[in-house]
Amino acid sequence: MRKRMLLPLISLLFVASMSLVGCAPSGATGTLQFHANGEDFVRQGFVSKDGWSITFDHVYVTLADVTAYQTDPPYDPHSGADIKGKVKVSLPKTYTVDLAEGGEKAPPILVGEVKSAPVGHYNAISWRMVKASSGPANGYSLVIVGTAEKVGQRIDFSIKVDEEYEYSCGEFVGDVRKGIVQQGGTADVEMTFHFDHIFGDADTPLDDELNVGAVGFEPFARLARDGKLNVDLVACRAKMAAKDYQALVDILPTLGHVGEGHCHCH
Amino acid sequence: MVRLRLVTALVWLLVMLALPLTAYAHGVIVDYMVDTTIKIVARYDTGEPMAGAQVVVYAPDDPAVPWLTGVCDEEGCFTFTPDASKPGIWVVQVRKAGHGGMVHIPVGESVAATTGVGGFSVLQIVLMSMCVIWGFVGTALYFSRRGA
Repeated sequence: MRKRMLLPLISLLFVASMSLVGCAPSGATGTLQFHANGEDFVRQGFVSKDGWSITFDHVYVTLADVTAYQTDPPYDPHSGADIKGKVKVSLPKTYTVDLAEGGEKAPPILVGEVKSAPVGHYNAISWRMVKASSGPANGYSLVIVGTAEKVGQRIDFSIKVDEEYEYSCGEFVGDVRKGIVQQGGTADVEMTFHFDHIFGDADTPLDDELNVGAVGFEPFARLARDGKLNVDLVACRAKMAAKDYQALVDILPTLGHVGEGHCHCH
Repeated sequence: MVRLRLVTALVWLLVMLALPLTAYAHGVIVDYMVDTTIKIVARYDTGEPMAGAQVVVYAPDDPAVPWLTGVCDEEGCFTFTPDASKPGIWVVQVRKAGHGGMVHIPVGESVAATTGVGGFSVLQIVLMSMCVIWGFVGTALYFSRRGA
């Protein structure tokens, strides 16, 4: 009699086990949005460390392999390691976005979203800045178009970068905590780009490490002719002072952030 | 480029253990000891203290809502007492002038259960394990009966 009861009992336990699996939070999903943000520096303009008032018409970045991760323990970008996440979701395509789009009060640019992201905290993100294969940034990973003015001088500039960069970042550091996806809800993660790292910031002390490492705009201004500047890295290497060009190539990999949190650039 | 690092996080939790522990994070040494309070010391990687930096503390039971906010003192220090009834990973974010960092501090003995394994609770894991074992036993008994 007891043996006859075994099979139903085993079946019952199996069903109960599967029910427990079904109730686990790992089956629930929400929407995870990916934003790109050039911050107010790009949207509103700023004054460089050497006194040039810079405004931006377009700042094109081309993003690929954009992936968010749930990491435990949390990913440490200073380790320089690749991100190993328990859960990860990715955007499927390569995207060229204009960080200057939308005016001074515009929100960060929505790059894409994953509507069936498993719930949990996406506390790490990685992406590549790659050369665009079409469009206004064709052939370049970064194109900065704008105007710089200083005591009666005006330079319309276009600075183009064809180097590619790969960023691995931890959790967003900012006003709010991002990346927490709840069932049926929407959360976001952000790729932040700090352009004050290139030009410096007049509102920051000149001896601050930010300004010490920044190129400023003056080295670019020296390359302008008749108020026009259109350069890529090849032209910069050929025409800039060696120390200025070196500062530029050293600082470009530090553009990528997560809010105020730093990233590792491979 | 100014890169911020949380140079040292000192944690004293006397309630549970009195053992000093050492871990490594953000490329620097992070020391912490078990006590009732958590002391954060935040500096830029130049060694300069983050005097006046904004501090936001998140408890493990509600990671999206600040549990406590405050400001670092002149030495870049900030001290708080975590709620002992909320074991898990406490997150402290420190920001100043466009630079910020974050440190994750385990508090309490049930951290492993809180972080979990693939999102299952301890109860779920135990029950599922029992079911699997029971399944093997039942299958063995079934075939042994057929053999007899």
